Amino acid sequence: MMSNDVTLLAIESSCDETAAAVVRNGREVLSDIISSQIDIHTLYGGVVPEIASRKHVEAVVPCVEQALREAGVTLSGLDGVAVTCGPGLVGALLVGVSFAKAFAYSAGLPLVGVHHIDGHISACYIEEPSLEPPFLCLVASGGHSHLVRVADYGVYEILGQTRDDAAGEAFDKVARALGLGYPGGPAVDRAAREGNDTAYAFPQAKISEGGYDFSFSGLKSAVLNELNRQRMAGEEPRVSDIAASFQRAVVEVLTEHLLAAAEETGIRTLAIAGGVASNSCLRERLETACAERGLTFIRPRPVLCTDNAAMIGAAGYYAYLRGVRSDLALNAEPNLSLGTRERRYHAGKQT
Amino acid sequence: MKILAIDTSGLVCAVAVAEDGRIQAEYKTDHKKTHSQMLMPMLDAMARALDLDLHTLDAIAVAEGPGSFTGLRIGASTAKGMAFALGIPVIPVPTLDAMAWQMSGTPGIICPMMDARRRQVYTALYRFREICDGTDPGNRETLRSMETLMPAAAVPAQEVLSRINEIGETVTFLGDGVPVVREIIREKCTVPYREAPAFRCRQSAAALADLAGVLMAAGKGVSAAAFTPVYLRPSQAEREAAAAAAAVSGQTAEPAEEEREPEKQLREIVIRRMTAQDVQQGVLLEEECLGQEAWSGTLFGDAVARRDTLYLMAESGGAQIGHAGIRAVCGEGEITNVCVKPVFRRQGIGEKLLRQLIHEGRRSFGIGDCTLEVRAGNTAAAGLYEKCGFVPEGRRPGFYERPSEDAVIYWLRGDF
Repeated sequence: MMSNDVTLLAIESSCDETAAAVVRNGREVLSDIISSQIDIHTLYGGVVPEIASRKHVEAVVPCVEQALREAGVTLSGLDGVAVTCGPGLVGALLVGVSFAKAFAYSAGLPLVGVHHIDGHISACYIEEPSLEPPFLCLVASGGHSHLVRVADYGVYEILGQTRDDAAGEAFDKVARALGLGYPGGPAVDRAAREGNDTAYAFPQAKISEGGYDFSFSGLKSAVLNELNRQRMAGEEPRVSDIAASFQRAVVEVLTEHLLAAAEETGIRTLAIAGGVASNSCLRERLETACAERGLTFIRPRPVLCTDNAAMIGAAGYYAYLRGVRSDLALNAEPNLSLGTRERRYHAGKQT
Repeated sequence: MKILAIDTSGLVCAVAVAEDGRIQAEYKTDHKKTHSQMLMPMLDAMARALDLDLHTLDAIAVAEGPGSFTGLRIGASTAKGMAFALGIPVIPVPTLDAMAWQMSGTPGIICPMMDARRRQVYTALYRFREICDGTDPGNRETLRSMETLMPAAAVPAQEVLSRINEIGETVTFLGDGVPVVREIIREKCTVPYREAPAFRCRQSAAALADLAGVLMAAGKGVSAAAFTPVYLRPSQAEREAAAAAAAVSGQTAEPAEEEREPEKQLREIVIRRMTAQDVQQGVLLEEECLGQEAWSGTLFGDAVARRDTLYLMAESGGAQIGHAGIRAVCGEGEITNVCVKPVFRRQGIGEKLLRQLIHEGRRSFGIGDCTLEVRAGNTAAAGLYEKCGFVPEGRRPGFYERPSEDAVIYWLRGDF
């Protein structure tokens, strides 16, 4: 008897994590393998694209192999392959996309190209099995800061985004300047716990007349200038105070925008996703604010917030149900925008 | 023994199927579309033409390197995907061996050369021991008939030429590196030489498939998981780290790229407006020029798409070698990016880009004065801006990071 279950192999290689997962019906994670390259990039103080691409080539087969093994699924048990095709580092994306195309083709499986942010947002479906659109989602990571209204599965309206640096990027840069190392998010989070978050009044990361848009570069510069000033004055930089004050400025604007959007749209379910969603201060702040307002708050557990393939399997599932199929010319799209994906890939649909 | 072969190591994108020494199909393109878009559709077209049941394949052969890093990875990832799904081995074939293999039976030295950028070529030297006289079915019995006189390396053309001169035999050159160093060959090669004809002067998947058959018989197949490309060169970040370590320990580091003679201009350089399709290459160029400070793809794509910006790029042979952007802000022009590929520097490309950018920016947006910021220590860039009439008017202390450095604010007031 035919089963209606849809089991997808998902592959993600957009930055510095090679990941593979097997996901059933978009929400049931049968395996979730992440091979992190963080150690090597730490040596260089950030992700080196060429090194990342080389590591992906080495890791992709072992990751997929392990994902299939842990899920207890063979090729004949798969219904398709989902792969991140953008945005991200082009050389890194190409490894996953090339592998996935060849694998799907050879196994006779349909292929679904997935937008990385679609993946981050879809991590919420895994975290909260009862979650259904519409909801608002704040996606903040090393490469992205988006405030999105999720109208339906895979249908997004971007309410706000960063005008310059991504939130996570600002964390990384500030961490580097403070000598806290890479990756910056967890480092700042840790240092901030010891600090006074009102020690400095850094500018808020928003734009006047900018609606729900963010701007983190001014905030970042203010932090660097303050640090510089302290050094010039021969003072010992007050690292944890700066970290705490910087973090508060970021968290405040993210929280404020998300809550304002909830009020304006009347949507009562809020979610966060992406690497910055692991930030303890942001999680606590939103948890409290949502509880006060009686809003439902969804925050995927940290492993679902970092780059992972399970989320690509979740997003891929809903795209699969909508009939999205990528053809063999599927390319890595480093600048893929969240709104154009379906149009682009429906156009290239192969039968 | 049925082998499917892939070569995406250079400009050519090529696939072939060989069965027991017979080439059943070869499909090869030398076109500007990316290998990522071309490879699988080509492979599929070939498989359909042959009514190929993929499950009858015994191995996937792939050019292991050297070659374009990205090209090698597309080939490697594709080979891995197929081999893993089909449960068959990968046969890694050295790119230069496969190129030379095309010249089987040619007397003298065979010298494939691939453009390795940075004033170097990926090259190696070979000689065929048994010269085909027409009665022999070929040299495919054993790999030993092709001897390697110099193993694969990334070296300046001069270096391989002096090896060739030492050996003192007639030499045949082939590969996309040949046009790049043709002048150097003319100058330095003291032995008789010829270039392979157009139909044998690039990578060939048929030759690769044929050689793979020999390697497979010699037990050189590996698992999809175990295969990794041979880049011959560490990444730039690793090179720089090694150079920094060497400088600290007092050893002589590799000379900086800028100190080398600029690459000969072989193809026409065209300046045109950038479109969304050019952003991908633009990001790669920025990463090459600016490293950590490069704009992200999203940022770049958004910047190009804006209505208040203008982005121009310089293109040579289908590749983006420079770009520059301007943004109109309240009647003034802010130069946002200026970037020229290192090997193309000192040829006036930056100046041409900048002048045309300001000219078109003024025409399109009616902007007047223009401004930009530059690292205080970047004298080469400052020289370019001053040449175009920009004048330093201020400083932003500690504006740049890694290393922390002041920004010098330049203005171009009035005409240039």
